[in-house]
Amino acid sequence: MNMISEFISYPFIQRALLASVMVGILCPFVGNFVVLRRMSFYSDAISHSAFAGIAAGALLGIDLSLSSIIVAILIAVIIAFLSEKTGLSHDTVIGIAFSGAIASGMLVMGMLKGYRADLFTFLFGDILAITDKDLLMIFIIGILTVIVLLTFLKPFLQITFNRDLARVEGTSVRFFEYLLFLIIAVVITVSLKIIGMILVTSLLIVPAASAKNLASSMKRLFVLSCVFGVLSGVIGLAMSIYLNTSSGPTIVLVSIMIFFLTLFSRGAVTKR
Amino acid sequence: MIALQVENLCVKADNRHLIENITFSIEEGRIVAIIGPNGAGKTTLIKAILGLIPYETGTVSLFGRPFKNNHSVIKVGYVPQKLEFDRTIPLTVSELLGFTVPPVYMVPFMKRKGAREHIDGLLKIVGAQSLAQRSIGSLSGGELQRVMIAKAIVNDPKILFLDEPASGVDIEGQERFHDLVKRLNKEKGLTVIIISHDLNVVYRYADDVLCMNRKLICTGRPEETLTDEVIKSMYGEMMGAYIHSCHEHD
Ligand SMILES: Nc1ncnc2c1ncn2[C@@H]1O[C@H](COP(=O)(O)OP(=O)(O)O)[C@@H](O)[C@H]1O
Ligand SMILES: [Mg+2]
Repeated sequence: MNMISEFISYPFIQRALLASVMVGILCPFVGNFVVLRRMSFYSDAISHSAFAGIAAGALLGIDLSLSSIIVAILIAVIIAFLSEKTGLSHDTVIGIAFSGAIASGMLVMGMLKGYRADLFTFLFGDILAITDKDLLMIFIIGILTVIVLLTFLKPFLQITFNRDLARVEGTSVRFFEYLLFLIIAVVITVSLKIIGMILVTSLLIVPAASAKNLASSMKRLFVLSCVFGVLSGVIGLAMSIYLNTSSGPTIVLVSIMIFFLTLFSRGAVTKR
Repeated sequence: MIALQVENLCVKADNRHLIENITFSIEEGRIVAIIGPNGAGKTTLIKAILGLIPYETGTVSLFGRPFKNNHSVIKVGYVPQKLEFDRTIPLTVSELLGFTVPPVYMVPFMKRKGAREHIDGLLKIVGAQSLAQRSIGSLSGGELQRVMIAKAIVNDPKILFLDEPASGVDIEGQERFHDLVKRLNKEKGLTVIIISHDLNVVYRYADDVLCMNRKLICTGRPEETLTDEVIKSMYGEMMGAYIHSCHEHD
């Protein structure tokens, strides 16, 4: 007990804890839509684009968070635009954007002089390196995202259930799809520093998938996914400190353990 | 007032006309049945009217407005013939109906006063009161159909499009549903466009009938329009057997 309270008294641990709780709520909340609409490939493409943005930011000497958000949104818009204008499948367009982002990110990385440890933070995530500024940004973006999603939850769920019915009922399907693309892009970008480019999609998807294993209503889905997200974040963080492992992978592995637990208990729970 | 005006509507797919030069208009407050053999383009017609599929030529106007992008002005109810959705979606019947209850922009889990009673009342009317807390993917075909009918009218629409809504519902449920449509029509002046294979329904409930087979064949009051000749030309000689088998298979 003493050890825990001593640990928690360290400011960097406090920041890490706060960050893992916020990301643990934000990512699964948005992730529910990624799971229900089968957008995990899109989510991957965006996280890789954000990384390309970080590389570009480092090259140009501008703020990395800013450059990553700009590039992620740019790629999100390009994906939406191309799939609408070309009639190519979403999958194909995302695949092209994805490769483009990775290739340019690698190219730009090669142009950078010397070893850039700060870039690896974004690749693998480092929750213990979180600054007050990072926390503030996650907090503001998180609050805004949750407010927008909750306010427009009805249309977002309408287009998720059936686009034709949503359209007939007067919902602007196109507007809300674009908005959702944008929100996912922004959430991925702010989570990058904590969980890393490679694993950010996991934190969007795994707690949401675990919640879907158990939930029979939307209300439960949203509540459970955030509970699982926070549990993964906090337990994963504690384990990573205790075991001296990297925080991102530890958090994701905890969330995957929760996933299998929910999968195995599904049979018992969903039976009426 | 003219509720629905369709002029020269053509829909093409793969260089083939699915529907061709369809022109008709429907007065507000009428129940109009659309009949025609399978593959006649009835579903295509409704989807084109609702802007769900593009059309080659033609215009559609709803209560005097061109239909494109005016959905939020005139409330429309729609029960599709086949509803496609992810059956694993965790969504209860009452949540689904809640989406459609205005105001659109608010947290759906925060129940508006009276919304709950409104939804429960509708579910009772369509005989689905026991389904409110069931998840939507666990419903049988008939149960789902009843829920979708309730969903189509939950928002108090001015015009209702029903694409073979009674398929998969038992006889008693069909009767109850058709009586409900008739009642909404009488009490609220709801305009109804219903695709049906059941000529009994057409005779009993429809003010007008619209026969089509890719092209419009004829329109008018059912008892005057549905002559033996017209029916034969649409369904062929085996019409009786055809209509019944369709009815039961669906
Ligand atoms: N997207 C499409 N592309 C090509 N053909 C289609 C498409 N949708 C429907 N059809 C064809 O259009 C015809 C009319 O279909 P439909 O409108 O469903 O008829 P109905 O509802 O009267 O049974 C059918 O021959 C069907 O095979
Ligand atoms: Mg049809």
